[in-house]
Amino acid sequence: GVFTHLEKLEAQAHEAGRRQEERQQQEEKLASLKERVEELRMQRDELRAKVDLQHKKQSGKEGIVSDAAEPSAGAVLEWKIRSIKGMLQIFYLTGISGKLTKRGVCFSISTAYEGTYLGSYYLDLLTKPAVRIHRHSLPIFIPLEQISRRYLQTDIRRFLSVLSDHLNAYAGRKYQADQLQEHFSDQLEGSLQRNSLCNLLVFNYKMPSEGKTFPFSARLIYRDLCCSLPTEVIVSCTVKAPESLEETAAAHSELFRHTALHKAFCTFSSAEKKVD
Amino acid sequence: MDETVAEYIRRTVLKIPRGEIKSMLQKWGFLSEAQLQTINFHQMKDNVSQEVVHLCEENSVDIKQAAVLDIIYNHIYPNKRMWSVYQMQKTGEEPEIFDLQSFKKKFKRRLLSALGNVTINFREYEDNAIWIRVAWGTPYTKPNQYKPSYVVYHSQTPYVFISTSVFKSNLPLLCQALVVASSYRDIREMELRSHSLNSLKDIVFKRYSQYFQTHCPRPIQDRSEEPESADLRIIRENKSEKERIQRVTREIFGDGPQPQLEFAQYKLETMFKSDPTMEVLDKKEPFRCLVKFSSPHLLESLRSLAPAGMADAPLSPLLTCITEKARNNFKIKEKKSSFPEGFVSP
Repeated sequence: GVFTHLEKLEAQAHEAGRRQEERQQQEEKLASLKERVEELRMQRDELRAKVDLQHKKQSGKEGIVSDAAEPSAGAVLEWKIRSIKGMLQIFYLTGISGKLTKRGVCFSISTAYEGTYLGSYYLDLLTKPAVRIHRHSLPIFIPLEQISRRYLQTDIRRFLSVLSDHLNAYAGRKYQADQLQEHFSDQLEGSLQRNSLCNLLVFNYKMPSEGKTFPFSARLIYRDLCCSLPTEVIVSCTVKAPESLEETAAAHSELFRHTALHKAFCTFSSAEKKVD
Repeated sequence: MDETVAEYIRRTVLKIPRGEIKSMLQKWGFLSEAQLQTINFHQMKDNVSQEVVHLCEENSVDIKQAAVLDIIYNHIYPNKRMWSVYQMQKTGEEPEIFDLQSFKKKFKRRLLSALGNVTINFREYEDNAIWIRVAWGTPYTKPNQYKPSYVVYHSQTPYVFISTSVFKSNLPLLCQALVVASSYRDIREMELRSHSLNSLKDIVFKRYSQYFQTHCPRPIQDRSEEPESADLRIIRENKSEKERIQRVTREIFGDGPQPQLEFAQYKLETMFKSDPTMEVLDKKEPFRCLVKFSSPHLLESLRSLAPAGMADAPLSPLLTCITEKARNNFKIKEKKSSFPEGFVSP
């Protein structure tokens, strides 16, 4: 009756609304792409103008250079802005960058591990009356209070550097654990146990040896929170295994101490391929 | 097999939506794949649960194993419970290596020594969350499985999320056990409550979107910006004001989605300020008043107030400090100075 009719209308309206949203999104995308095209065209025109100017100078035309060949003040300004933005981008890529705010400074710390860029974290500091943290986006398990108690008031550079070390090491440890789970899950038995800081990893893995697979149990402890390599590694065989495997366990232990986890597993699989 | 266990499993299965029963039983892992194949999941839920109970009886299930099914259900549907956040204080030492086995042992020992009849279950999840289920009994009665308390704890963080049952009297014991097990000094309840567990986590773990001024160019999405060249005869009169409002709103709320809270409550203990000639209140007493904002998604609705023209931008700091201060329950007292604004008590 009436209700079903109302429901139908409602569904229709809903559908129409959804379609309209889609259309809007596509239009927005198109608009932003058009903007980009405009930007690039402007850049190209400027560069062309500069090239022309260079040619004219080289060919010795000392005559009156018309306004059309010389880049306008607006174009120069644009170019300056772009080069400053480029500089800032470079600073940002170095890992620690800051921007002055009304009441202090806002720092951003970027993390990376061996060439892969990982997340960024932000700190909003107030500078008056004393330096203190207003807001931040750091994970709760990073010992921010401890570090700021030690260094924030006295040596802000050291503070940022220590914090950056902590964050980069955490990001590195997490990256290794994630990579291990993603790419070597067939060698892992059961799940990879970790904690929030990724400074304790416990897992079982198997190594094929002479046709049989032998399970190993590994426990990695990273006592140094600024380091992405473990300080303690215990690798043991889960079953009573031959002597040779005890040696292998010790060798693995050494390997994990000095090599990134996922790279260590990479060498395992490549070594196995060699044997085959 | 115990009748109570059978009944408990039956009722737990009945809670699960029909389409999810099979996957949840698989996650539980107590019944083998072969056994699960024998169940017809398309019949009435009553019959499905009876079949499940029969199979569990064949495998001689005990209450601890049945409780695991309850944890799985609550992990997938945490929003059916009301969660409160508690913060623990550290002793100020260097962070120890968190040992899960030691944590579990200490927790169990504390509870079992104080109260013999409890059912305790632990379950760890990929995101480092430890789920603890405690069913409470007394020295004379068996634990009541239908009103358990749930605790969610992420190692190496000072926050614990607790969803209690009706028995508030067990709360101090639970808190004590947590403090002892995690090697902290003490614990206090924060004024933060919601049905959405993940939103509470987002707020205290600072995973929500915040606005930070940086040089790094981030893509700015102009949502409701209409193209200027649509029709030159149409002029937006208050364009600059609208842009100001958008900018201020973004500075306060950031760009991304907000955590989901259902309410914000302000208990006013301030003086009523009226025209002295009106003589509304003779006595100089605080005007006791409770203001509560409710919404299916409070922070998103606050964010849309100014752009919709329903409030001035910037919004009152009492509303915008909710995620920053990680609380949605405030007490506002009179500030003992010349400023007429209320003072938010810590």
